[in-house]
Amino acid sequence: MAEEILTVSNLIKRYGDLVAVNGVSFAVLRQEIFGILGPNGAGKTTTLETIETLRPIEGGEIAVNGIDVRRNPQAVKRIIGVQLQSSTFFDKLNLVELLSLFGELYGRTVDPLALLDEVELRDRAKEYVGNLSGGQKQRFSIAAALVNEPLVIFLDEPTTGLDPQARRHLWGVIRRIRSEGKTIVLTTHYMDEAEYLCDRVAIMDRGNIIALDAPHRLVTQLLENGFKKEKIQHLANLEDVFLSLTGHVLREE
Amino acid sequence: MRLKWKMTLASLKMFFRQREAILWTVLFPLFVIILFSFIKFDGLGRMHLGIANEAGGRAGALTEALQSVKTFEIFEGTRESELRELEKGERDVVLIIPESFNPALAGSVTAFADVEAKPREAQLASLVLQRALDELTFHQAPNANRLLLKTEPVKTRNLTYIDFLIPGVLSMAIMQMGIFGVAFSFVSLKKRGILRRLWVTPINPGDFIIAQISTRVIAILIQMVLMIGVGMLFLNLHFVGNPLSIVVIGLLGAVVFLGFGFSLAGISKSEDQVAPLANLISLPMMLLSGVFFSRSNLPGVLHAITGFFPLTYLADAMRSVAIDGATLFQVGPQLAGLAAWGVVSVFIAARMFRWE
Repeated sequence: MAEEILTVSNLIKRYGDLVAVNGVSFAVLRQEIFGILGPNGAGKTTTLETIETLRPIEGGEIAVNGIDVRRNPQAVKRIIGVQLQSSTFFDKLNLVELLSLFGELYGRTVDPLALLDEVELRDRAKEYVGNLSGGQKQRFSIAAALVNEPLVIFLDEPTTGLDPQARRHLWGVIRRIRSEGKTIVLTTHYMDEAEYLCDRVAIMDRGNIIALDAPHRLVTQLLENGFKKEKIQHLANLEDVFLSLTGHVLREE
Repeated sequence: MRLKWKMTLASLKMFFRQREAILWTVLFPLFVIILFSFIKFDGLGRMHLGIANEAGGRAGALTEALQSVKTFEIFEGTRESELRELEKGERDVVLIIPESFNPALAGSVTAFADVEAKPREAQLASLVLQRALDELTFHQAPNANRLLLKTEPVKTRNLTYIDFLIPGVLSMAIMQMGIFGVAFSFVSLKKRGILRRLWVTPINPGDFIIAQISTRVIAILIQMVLMIGVGMLFLNLHFVGNPLSIVVIGLLGAVVFLGFGFSLAGISKSEDQVAPLANLISLPMMLLSGVFFSRSNLPGVLHAITGFFPLTYLADAMRSVAIDGATLFQVGPQLAGLAAWGVVSVFIAARMFRWE
């Protein structure tokens, strides 16, 4: 599990005077769930989209499974799966048709229903994406990212805007996909999500990575440095109250 | 190839599942035709009288007398050209004044009319014409023999407004499909991030464009069959053209207007920007390119300018082939005009088109 599947070294991206990504380097290990955290504008999405071949590389190197993104973006596209931040799909194609079409883009004949099973959407197979709930849309978006059996899957804020049940459900889906041997790189604003899902996280701010380690080790380091939380630690939080009252069962609006 | 086909198929599915798009781009032109077919423009205005004067100055008094008859709008030409116009339906009655005509002597002139298709016009014209002849002889020599009007029934194609309208509206529909059909859907795909999602797959942008174009072209072909079919079955359209020539002209028109569509899609960032630009281009052409009404009534300068509009070339070529049975060779000037516009619009599209 020590093999590096994604390496980013000294990545630089500027928008005019603004330096969005300022010499970022990190490596993601095979079958890892790797989180990129940070406030808005920290450079998370830019970093992700550059790896995904959507933005040109201005400085630095990126390699996915040993393939240079700058030199061979087409080959990289074939081995990655992507969920964009605001994933939208064609209006008037149902889920099965969309997955078949996306399969065709990779020259593959896919089994759409099996993919929908993976994200528990088989019962919505004939729906248009527009008729799905927020959580279902995100899950479909993940199914669409799986059509080419990618080695690495990128999820940009997959749970933003979802209710607690839908978030937890999606966590289950993400973990299951990892257990099938895939590597997952995600961004999130939710620390509990990062703590629960991620093997390691990189914290970005102003285009730099300012910390990179396993969540529990980052916490330990902070405590060793003498940090004390002001409030008394409760054994439960409001989310636990909410979930114990409303249950963990997924709601589909 | 398989991918292009699959993408075209998916794109066709999307296209035909969009009810509003079908309504506006396919059914609306059909509605226009059916609606206009109820209006009898043909019954309005004056009777078109063609005169072939082979007697020269000796018939001067007669033609002058006829000019003052308010019932007639007079056209003069040779026997052949006027009879041809009669056959096409551009004239209601054609009067032939033979070389032997002499108001001082007995003789006859001949009026040609389609008495079966236009009985009222034929009857009225022969009354008025005979009356004019009588006045002429009476005026010249009260005792001279009567000049007789002979009426010759002919069979004409009796072209109506529908025959003018359908090729025009068909051309307009091709324009709308190209400009609106492409520009709006592309800008929406861009804005909503659907294109970005495609670019993280190994898709070849060219394949995607080809699928988009194929979809529009197929829609245009369906539209042509539908409109000409409805016209012939229900509206008495006198279609005599070579269907293959119609398809060739339609495709050339499609190239021109798809080029406009992609140019607009390239320039605009949102639907709000597309709408005014698309209307700015298409509205003047819709009104001034001879789609609904002949351009011959436009004032000189405007007539000259509108002659260069791509829709004018398209509508004129379409009409000549569909209704007059012209060959592609005969509409060569129009095809050349269209081709020139095609080069311009494809060039602009290639320069302006942006994925992001």
